[in-house]
Amino acid sequence: MVPDVYAPIQIKSGELIMDADRMVLNAYDASAVEEALVLKEKHGGEVEVVCIGPAKASETIRKALAMGADKGVHILTSGDEGYDSGSFAKVLAAFFKDKEYDVISLGKQSQDTDSGLTGSMISELLNLPYATNAVGLEAEGDILVVKRQGDTGQEMIGLPTPCAVTCSNDMNDPRIPNLKGIMASKRKPVETVEISNLDVDASSLSATSKVIGYEEKPARQAGKKYEGEADEIARQVAQLLDTEANVI
Amino acid sequence: MSSILTYVAIADGKIKRSSLEVLSHCKKQAEANGLTVEAVVIDANASSFVDGIKAYGASKVYVIEDQIFQNHMNTPLLKALIKVVDAANPQVFAFASTEGTKDILGALAANQDAAVLADVSSFEVSSGSVHAKRPVMAAKVVANTEASGDLILVSVRSGSYDLIESPSEAEVVNINFSLNESDLKATLREIISATGDTIDLNEAEAIVAAGRGVKDEEGKALISELAGILNAGIGASRALTESGVYDPSLQIGQTGKVVSPQLYIAVGISGAIQHVAGMANSKVIVAINKDADAPIFEVADYGIVGDLYKILPPFIDELKKIKS
Amino acid sequence: MEDKFDCIVIGGGVAGLAAAMTLAKNNMKFLLIERGEFAGAKNVSGGILWGSDLAKLVPDYWEEEDAGWERFINHRRLTFMDDQSTFSLDFKSKHFNETPYTGVVVLRAKFDNWLAGKVQEAIDASDFAMDSFIATDIKVDEVILENDKAVGIKTGEDEFFADSVIIAEGVNNLLTRQVGLQDKYVPADHMLTGIKEVIRFDQKVLEDRFQLDGLSGMTNEFVGWATDGVEGGGFLYTNKDTISIGLVVGIKDLREKKKSPHDLLNHFKTHPTVADAIKGGEIVEYSAHVVSSGDSRVMPKELYKDGILIVGEAANLLMNAGKAIQGMDFAMRSGILAAETIVKAKEKGDYSSATLKEYRKVMDESYIMKDINNFQDAVHLLHTDVMQNKVPNLVCDFGRQFFTIKNEPTPRSKDMIKGAIKRHSSVWELAKLGFKAGKSL
Repeated sequence: MVPDVYAPIQIKSGELIMDADRMVLNAYDASAVEEALVLKEKHGGEVEVVCIGPAKASETIRKALAMGADKGVHILTSGDEGYDSGSFAKVLAAFFKDKEYDVISLGKQSQDTDSGLTGSMISELLNLPYATNAVGLEAEGDILVVKRQGDTGQEMIGLPTPCAVTCSNDMNDPRIPNLKGIMASKRKPVETVEISNLDVDASSLSATSKVIGYEEKPARQAGKKYEGEADEIARQVAQLLDTEANVI
Repeated sequence: MSSILTYVAIADGKIKRSSLEVLSHCKKQAEANGLTVEAVVIDANASSFVDGIKAYGASKVYVIEDQIFQNHMNTPLLKALIKVVDAANPQVFAFASTEGTKDILGALAANQDAAVLADVSSFEVSSGSVHAKRPVMAAKVVANTEASGDLILVSVRSGSYDLIESPSEAEVVNINFSLNESDLKATLREIISATGDTIDLNEAEAIVAAGRGVKDEEGKALISELAGILNAGIGASRALTESGVYDPSLQIGQTGKVVSPQLYIAVGISGAIQHVAGMANSKVIVAINKDADAPIFEVADYGIVGDLYKILPPFIDELKKIKS
Repeated sequence: MEDKFDCIVIGGGVAGLAAAMTLAKNNMKFLLIERGEFAGAKNVSGGILWGSDLAKLVPDYWEEEDAGWERFINHRRLTFMDDQSTFSLDFKSKHFNETPYTGVVVLRAKFDNWLAGKVQEAIDASDFAMDSFIATDIKVDEVILENDKAVGIKTGEDEFFADSVIIAEGVNNLLTRQVGLQDKYVPADHMLTGIKEVIRFDQKVLEDRFQLDGLSGMTNEFVGWATDGVEGGGFLYTNKDTISIGLVVGIKDLREKKKSPHDLLNHFKTHPTVADAIKGGEIVEYSAHVVSSGDSRVMPKELYKDGILIVGEAANLLMNAGKAIQGMDFAMRSGILAAETIVKAKEKGDYSSATLKEYRKVMDESYIMKDINNFQDAVHLLHTDVMQNKVPNLVCDFGRQFFTIKNEPTPRSKDMIKGAIKRHSSVWELAKLGFKAGKSL
């Protein structure tokens, strides 16, 4: 669950003010949910969604349930703890420690902070084989086959379950819940979990990194526009790139 | 004495330029803080790159060489990095932010209980902490962040720093490491390279990017020709990678690659925020689009309003003349 | 047969939400379907919510911190414009400060979303907490009719059934047309386009500039030069830390005069008085929407049918008689009345026209239809060339003379008036206007 990054933003004295009081399902997580549902439709099984966040986060759990997930878990925070990726990873690892699952799937990063750390952190804490930046998933018996987008091309990786995977939103187009899904979601169970009930030492959760302020991104100024006869302006700019910009 | 350690990545048999950018900056930070600057290279032929690393000022180079590093896999790399951290005990461990780094950075932080600042556009070291700037909220805003601890990991967006050569004497430390693929739980089954010799976009000095306006084979040919003359990498907007016209690894944008070459030529690209987020830090931006109101013109230094099929041929021709 | 609802409300704007709130408070089992991602996502108003019905739906709403509304209105201004001048009727009074307020300015995305939250609370407190829903991001494709009676709705492949349907779909009332209560094509003659910008200021600057106190706010409507000869008018309203500025212009007239709404709005903003008012602000939002003019000639043939009630702008319930634009308050009241009719229908066990025509009756008795009928002439009058162009120019001409003190003998006001009339109109024309106005206002 993240703030709506496409809503207008203001920075006032170093603080970030979101115009829209809206939290939305992180696009990368939505892809993770979608792919999980696709796998369930192909191979059966159950999709459970887990979300850490303040009370408002329950809306995004409902959305995932409306998409087709079977049940939800809401790990409750106050929203003021100042948790960073490491804190969240530790909480999630403590939650999953004694659970049974084949795959833990997450979005590869969150749209607001774009850090992309939580997935691999959880995998390390739970000692799970994992892959990041997945653009395709397939199940072969109890192996999860991941198509991963690397730096120069794609890799096909086989992960024995239980395993973890982080998903790119290039993987799919998450379905928009239909009315039947929305209605059904109301009756699906959502369990609320308090962090104090998890097997994790509260003092270990303090963030080791924090945001101390925000600033406007220095705007890139527009340069010059060249309009007119194609041949003329094309050659003109080519010359300028050499003489003026010095980049040829 | 405490140190700043830089991870030097290797790709296609060469040291990645982005790693050297980070190393250059680490050297400056080390000098400013009375720390040493060290480097680590992990590859199937790691020892062959030591000289290239020494040229950028590392005073010590850790080397891990093993066949398992022929192709990128997260578990062996992670294990190797853990060994290096044990040996080097750095205060700060810096990486260029590539897919390879993103694959292990969080895991390494969790393993070491280290603080981590990912995908920063700049960072500064002071005693016991690192201050960094990171673009957030779909790159609309810059967050000033701070991390402190005994070990701080930092990954840096490519193009953030200039290369500064500073040849030095360096101690080379070989670390024993061996791992068999059969020891791993995960299996790397297949590598599907992007077709053709594509220049790594994070390394390229110039990039030609194709957008929706590039409709057909003729358009693609023009793009290739332009890239050829400029020795540029070829990138594409999401529309074209999604439709399969170009390979997904060539996608430039918020969810693709974030690049900052010296020269970026956007051909037939409208300039949606998500794309601009991936190239706004380029030194010089040229845009070619037939829509005079396209948002790309708001970030372009040189905006050419016209049909790319009519603009590119004379453009390419003029560049040929200049180059000869 | 799947679970059946007592009522399906189509549309989560002000009318739909008001109906839904009333249904929830009366322990009805209902479904509210909104096609936007969230309630308010697809709505645009100037906009002022007049009247005190909001207090009926959300009692003591003014006590809630950061509720969905921006400011209450205690300062009203009506302005005539020519190319250089503005001549205004300006009224500000402390009596408007009393709660319940008689007018609040809102921004729809925030307001509707907030109100939807209140409806959800009402659902949660009702007997049907697990069965009544607000569903967003869903579009209703069709009202399902059996023997010309509504039995449910269809969205995509899915069908949902109910004893009644309240159509609160807004001005582009396609479903109202589908069920046969409105013609397939509505003439553009009586439809308008609303176009606006939201411009942000530092809150302190805004409050100083418009002399706002606490949460007080100002409304300003404009006629004359504002729309560059196109039928319509302008508006400027103060929100918390932004202003809403825009125009409402006739679609047919726009087309005939070959002007674009975008250009007209930019033109309006260049008027010296307006430019001074908005100086230094940052445009943060741009939106547009079709709007009814309130002309009763385009109202649906009837507002009810077997199992169907039409509310809000889907029923063309809007009025711009010059003094104010009343749309949201009509929507709210009609939504409440429709829902109350449905509640009665459930008690009787009959949702046919025989029972539902009660809605028509209470609507006719309500201030909505009374005002629409009484002020039809005023609406027509407002859209004449005399009112739109000649009168503003005349008034400003007079103003220029009246308020200019020179080192010359001062003409008598009546001579000033005569001169202005001669330059812009004629005594006869004005007399006709005066006569019509006297009858209609």
